[in-house]
Amino acid sequence: MKSDMSIASSSPAPRSKGYSFNIVGRIGLGIILFWLAVAILGPWISPHPPGEIVDWDYFGPMTSKFWLGTDYLGRDMFSRILLGARYTVGISLAAVTIACTIGVILGMIAAVIGGWFDMILSRLLDAINGIPSLLFGLVVVAAVGSSIPVLILTLAANYMPGSYRFARALAVNVNTMDFVTVARARGENTPYLIIREIFPNILGPVLADLGLRFVFIVLVLSGLSFLGLGVQPPNADWGALVRENIGALSFGAPAVIFPSIAIASLTISVNMFIDNLPTKIRDRSE
Amino acid sequence: MSKPTNWTNRDDSMVEDMLRRGASRRDLLKFMMVSGVGAAAGGSILLRAGNALAATPVSGGHIRAAGWSSSTADTLDPAKASNATDYVRCCAFYNRLTFLDEKGIVRMELADKIDTKDAKTWEIKLKSGVEFHDGKTLNADDVVYSLKRHLDKSVGSKAHSIAEQMTEISKVDDLTVKIGLLAANADLPTILALHHFMILADGTTDFTTANGTGPFTCKTFEPGVRSIGVRNENYFKPQKAYLESFEFFAITDNSARINALLSGDIQLAANLNPRSMRMLDGNDSVRASISTSGNYTDLNIRLDQDPGTHFDFVEGMKNLVNRDMIKNSVLRGLGEIANDQPIPPSNRYYNLNLEPRAYDPDKALFHFKKAGLVGTEIPIVTSDAANSAVDMATVIQQAGSEIGMKLKVERVPSDGYWSNYWLKSPIHFGNINPRPTPDILFSLFYMSNAPWNESRYKSDKFDSMVLEARGELNEDKRSTIYWELQEMISKEAGTVIPAWLSNVDGVSSKVEGLRPNPLGGMMGYAFAEYVWLKS
Amino acid sequence: MQAGQAVLFWKVLRRGFSLRQSFISLYLLVQVSKRLAIALLTLVIVSFAVFFATELLPGDVAQILLGQAATPEAVAGLREAMGLNEPAFHRFLFWLIGLTHGDLGISYANNMPIAELIHGRLTNSLKLAGVTTLVSVPVSLFLGIGAAMWRNSPFDRMVSVLTISVISVPEFMVATLSVLIFAVWLDWLPALSFGADVGSFSDMLRAYAMPVITLSCVVSAQMIRMTRAAVIETINTPYVEMALLKGASRTRMVLVHALPNALGPIANAVALSLSYLVGGVIIVETIFNYPGVAKLMVDAVSTRDLPLIQSCAMLFCVSYLSLITLADLIAILSNPRLR
Repeated sequence: MKSDMSIASSSPAPRSKGYSFNIVGRIGLGIILFWLAVAILGPWISPHPPGEIVDWDYFGPMTSKFWLGTDYLGRDMFSRILLGARYTVGISLAAVTIACTIGVILGMIAAVIGGWFDMILSRLLDAINGIPSLLFGLVVVAAVGSSIPVLILTLAANYMPGSYRFARALAVNVNTMDFVTVARARGENTPYLIIREIFPNILGPVLADLGLRFVFIVLVLSGLSFLGLGVQPPNADWGALVRENIGALSFGAPAVIFPSIAIASLTISVNMFIDNLPTKIRDRSE
Repeated sequence: MSKPTNWTNRDDSMVEDMLRRGASRRDLLKFMMVSGVGAAAGGSILLRAGNALAATPVSGGHIRAAGWSSSTADTLDPAKASNATDYVRCCAFYNRLTFLDEKGIVRMELADKIDTKDAKTWEIKLKSGVEFHDGKTLNADDVVYSLKRHLDKSVGSKAHSIAEQMTEISKVDDLTVKIGLLAANADLPTILALHHFMILADGTTDFTTANGTGPFTCKTFEPGVRSIGVRNENYFKPQKAYLESFEFFAITDNSARINALLSGDIQLAANLNPRSMRMLDGNDSVRASISTSGNYTDLNIRLDQDPGTHFDFVEGMKNLVNRDMIKNSVLRGLGEIANDQPIPPSNRYYNLNLEPRAYDPDKALFHFKKAGLVGTEIPIVTSDAANSAVDMATVIQQAGSEIGMKLKVERVPSDGYWSNYWLKSPIHFGNINPRPTPDILFSLFYMSNAPWNESRYKSDKFDSMVLEARGELNEDKRSTIYWELQEMISKEAGTVIPAWLSNVDGVSSKVEGLRPNPLGGMMGYAFAEYVWLKS
Repeated sequence: MQAGQAVLFWKVLRRGFSLRQSFISLYLLVQVSKRLAIALLTLVIVSFAVFFATELLPGDVAQILLGQAATPEAVAGLREAMGLNEPAFHRFLFWLIGLTHGDLGISYANNMPIAELIHGRLTNSLKLAGVTTLVSVPVSLFLGIGAAMWRNSPFDRMVSVLTISVISVPEFMVATLSVLIFAVWLDWLPALSFGADVGSFSDMLRAYAMPVITLSCVVSAQMIRMTRAAVIETINTPYVEMALLKGASRTRMVLVHALPNALGPIANAVALSLSYLVGGVIIVETIFNYPGVAKLMVDAVSTRDLPLIQSCAMLFCVSYLSLITLADLIAILSNPRLR
């Protein structure tokens, strides 16, 4: 087990696998696709509307009628999770994509160009990071109101500086490597350096960072609904489902357990998928 | 004593609450039959509840209690007191001229006697020999100073609009104060029992510590962190506080508050969420103390803005509110169904003939159709700032969607809710704390010139009747007017009041003497003076 | 380019070892002072940004303090008394000038000096952050480097699944669950971390155990994942591969060759994670009733207490900037080619 890793990417054997996935990666992808399907089909497959109180009791157990029990108001948890999928999956994916794309591109540009550009951009993003997120969220609600696109952009703005900082730190390191110096000496322009030399070499850690950022965004989503920025009731994202049913924790009621499982299954599979991407994508190309 | 099956600690507390509010034995047995308890078992419950009311106090000990909100805006200035944390401190460190006992009856505290002939000019005799914590003796100057502060706008008093009717506050002699009112108001003794009218020493401007006459002296006060009080051995009441000291702070998170109570870190957890009651049930080391006073969360439809200008819309909404569901699902039974007017059932002026409107979607639809609003998207502004308002909004939204009404819930931040959305949005939620007299409620919330006229209700007839009742010293006549006023509000105003919210405090079973009070939870915030620890 | 010149310069200097020492300290001095100047500028920008953000928020401190009692005349009276009628920008500039003399101003909400309000709470926050750092950084580095060294081994997979699972659970759930288990059911630890008289070392240990574990769960994952990714990335460089081919042992290879090159990104990940520990621990502060600066900031924002908001924002910004500056310096020092 310890003989063939670490140098795996550069040894010929794994490369011959090309773009094929290993089994763990496939499972991860499968779960992601499953949740995507639920997110799209949610309104058609959920047995109850999200706000309908179906049971006078609360924190009900799993029954044949209510598969995943009922929540604190006696609403059907199964329906609420199915309907929450589109918010959690959709918003988080959109936000993390925007945050990481912008962050990584800016980070690489800053690293390659360096000098004043790097300094000004870095300090500017530090300053954005310096504004407390609570204040940031409240100002957004006050200034532009609450809607799903605003929510996505707020999340992206919150997580972009971190992504930038990490990508820049990686790119700065790669930028000093010999092959980059050689390419530069060849007279390659900046876009070429970024796309062909830097990007492939930082992709692995950047993807790992993206996976983590995704987890953070999924979780912080529910916090924003308390600032009035989030998903509007009676709908709720999964984090909000956990939050509003947290009182059920001491009875181990399904109302708090299943949304947690849904979150974990999504975040773990996204990271499993990233960790097990075909080495050709994940690791440095030649 | 054995408990019947299905009977929980919560039901015990409900019975205690009812007993205290003067329910007859027959009322109680009726309540128990409904709860599925036989008469024989019922008798034993009554006995137990009676026992709880009559145990012998023990002196000594230290208690840690947690409220639900606290911030850097915490204050020791009674005029600025704004939340439970402030009220608890005020009750521990200061005294009022009068206070309300558990049945809502006015008792004298620093005042010895309050007299009037016409309800317009009042003479207040003070108790003699009462000392402040710094040793100064209480006299009329202190009372005049304390009351006059509320008239000074720069103080920022929360009771400013109530105090404004006191046109004259003057010293007669060392122990006598004269208060002259703008117009006759028979409720003055009750008004003086408000937490804001605590008595300070003359000239007090520094509130980093508290110099009052109260049962405890202030040892520590850190705003947003905690306060510690130590028993005042020089207290003027013959029965001094039982506790040697108490610590009060806030745990904002409901689960954390309960967990701290269950683990024994605190002995009193105020204002628990009804849905977490299950954690207290079946646990003998803790119990619930329930009080239903006048607190309510209401849906306000402004009559001066669309869609509230269509009175049929207001009618429709009143029929669309499923009060049973709000009481049972949102409040988990810890509340009482209300009838769209602000006087609570515990008040002696409560109109018993006024039935709450039934949930009637068909009738609602009829009114909505008449108003031509079916299918129009109508936003309802709600927020966690008002207790249970978000859940109530979803109940109403769901009921609407079943008859084709597009009600859209708009949840907005608690932050700044009271200054930005309350009173301003066309349809929004409010949350009103108990007020001791109908007159205060009517003049603050329903008269045409009321500062917080939530639905912009305007009626000349209503206004003149409120003024008439205010100066009326004849109880029966007053009652008749108040009954009619309640009916007017229920039928004409745009405020939908679906239920009274019960306040639930969690208490360690070691703590005795905690009783509900009409001024609010934690014994009207004055628990520190009255509770004791079982030895 | 600059980098090229630096490399050349470096090669010249490497000849004399003693020279190298003084070069490093000189270099550090220049870098640090340059960074300080820039950090100061960043702080000023942030304070302006925070000011305008606060101004955008609806309501002011007089309205909020009066709450439901805020009639227009009462608000006007209180504003007058609090000196809020002066333009906000003037008050802000006045505060900024005061700050240059080290005066944080007076809180609007309770008239207390802000330095006094912050002092105790900052001490609390730093204590918690310090203990958490001591616990989480070594553990994370060990796990991260280990996972990278034995990449794709069961150990690596276990660490990876465990870290993701741990951060996939919302922070408030970790906190609530640990209180339920350790304080309510087992009765081993106090449910609240503050106020209980901390007399002995074991008391302190008991009081800090749950908040520290909760926070470590939150911040470790990022450090572990990033350390692993960064180390793997450097293992893949030709330079390290060469060392391997030359027969260096894996442990030696990672610790001596790969790790120094990965220090930059690792330091950045650690800094980003730790910066969370000062201002972002609101959930832990709330659930364990631990009065720190995160709750102070929340209070300040909700009462629109401008001087307090500004002071807290400056505080967070200073801690963030010093952490990332430290990280950048480590990055520069660890990678000779960056100098």
